[in-house]
Amino acid sequence: MSAIVKISNLDKYFGRLHVLKDISLEVQPREVVCIIGRSGSGKSTLLRCINFLEEPSHGTIEVDGLIVAGGEKGKEHRQLVHDLRLRTGMVFQDFNLFPHMSVLENVIEGPVTVKKMDRAKAIELAEYNLNNVDMLWKKDEYPNRLSGGQKQRVAIARALTMEPRVMLFDEPTSALDPELIGEVLTVMKKVALEGMTMLVVTHEMGFAKEVADRVVVMADGEIIEDAAPEELFETPKDARTLALIERYRSGSN
Amino acid sequence: MTAVTQKPQAELLYEAQLRKERIFRTHVGVTWLVLLMTIVFFFSGQNFLGIKTISLDNIFITENLAFIAGGLGETIRISILSILLAMILALLAALGRLSTFPPFYALSTFYVSLIRGTPLYLQIFFFFLALPQIFPAWATVPGLWAGVLALGMNYGAYMSETFRAGIASVSKGQREAALALGMTPGQTMLRIVIPQALRFAIPPMGNDFIAMTKDSALVSATGFVHELMWRATKVGRAQFNNLEALIVAAVFYWGLTLILTYFQNRLEARMSRGDR
Repeated sequence: MSAIVKISNLDKYFGRLHVLKDISLEVQPREVVCIIGRSGSGKSTLLRCINFLEEPSHGTIEVDGLIVAGGEKGKEHRQLVHDLRLRTGMVFQDFNLFPHMSVLENVIEGPVTVKKMDRAKAIELAEYNLNNVDMLWKKDEYPNRLSGGQKQRVAIARALTMEPRVMLFDEPTSALDPELIGEVLTVMKKVALEGMTMLVVTHEMGFAKEVADRVVVMADGEIIEDAAPEELFETPKDARTLALIERYRSGSN
Repeated sequence: MTAVTQKPQAELLYEAQLRKERIFRTHVGVTWLVLLMTIVFFFSGQNFLGIKTISLDNIFITENLAFIAGGLGETIRISILSILLAMILALLAALGRLSTFPPFYALSTFYVSLIRGTPLYLQIFFFFLALPQIFPAWATVPGLWAGVLALGMNYGAYMSETFRAGIASVSKGQREAALALGMTPGQTMLRIVIPQALRFAIPPMGNDFIAMTKDSALVSATGFVHELMWRATKVGRAQFNNLEALIVAAVFYWGLTLILTYFQNRLEARMSRGDR
């Protein structure tokens, strides 16, 4: 089995600030990897480098056989980045649904505009995915009429309708009221059980324990630990991992 | 007295609020009517309690009403054409203003600076009278088009700032979501950013359009576009009935503004659907 995502020697600088330091990480097909770490550890930047929302300074990203190198320019590079984005779906902390489009229009926008998919076919696919996240009943509603949890479920359906090979979740429950977190995690678990490869930047230790195959811990732009959840939570090797777990224990989790 | 028949408190409060608003609106409406009647009275020519009011030449008004009203279509036509041109120019100028490519940025700021730095009145004369001196062929183009060009370019420069603010109001997350879906920067602009920016810009643009219908009167000064103002001054001067002619034109402009304001309010309400 070969890796579906392969991050090799990734560096990212913001000006003189070195936020990702020679990161290498492999993710196998159908694997769910949670990335945890304190704020400023570089976990979100790493995730955003995978689909080049942040352009890596050095190193390569490989997704499903397509290799894209960071720090390049030009038309050919832009085409590679575009192809890479078609292989990845992303879910954001702030949902970022398009407020001028209904739920259904949000979900078919990608397939119709980017993939030039036939509208009827796109609607069929969108309705299937909306039903999967239990949001089909709101398909004609506008995003401002939805709760945060509902918005995020629509955002997940929107990303899935592009039929990506990998789903990237950037703190998908951090902007939600506590009582709405559960419904989003349930949907994410369902997506994982259906065999989607997932990288999830999160603070939800319960989700990491229950759903993740591996948990990656980041600190100061480096991966300090990478292990199965039971191993990581029971016997953390790094003192910083222990401190992180303690913090979550004493917090709401 | 049972609790079952009582309305929830929130509903009662809401009803009280509505009633308050209704009473306020009624009072405003009545006051408007009184003010309007007062003006009508002052121009009625009646003697009342020793006040001698102004009498208008009613024969002049009835004879020339149709002629002045005939300019209404031209006023509306020039306004619509000009606002369309202004919207295109404003959008281009706004995009240029946000461009990181120096020539586009320069072109946009240069255009806005030049237009905003000179009077609209001058610009109108420039397009009517000065331009044919450079391009003799322009003299054969109907006066309407010179007016549209002048008004469109002028309002385009002012409206570009509204568009720019509208584009800037769309969050970075919206662009990122579009890019993550695989949209090109062009698709992101056209499908995600501009529609949201337009909605932001609709209310001020409606105001600009209403203002433009009145600024279109300036075009009459050149004598080639027979819109409301031109017709009013023509008959008013010829028969020394400027007061009557201008009052008639004012009534038409005001009525037009009221109608446009009504539609703008409805459009605004419609566009706000889906707002965050």
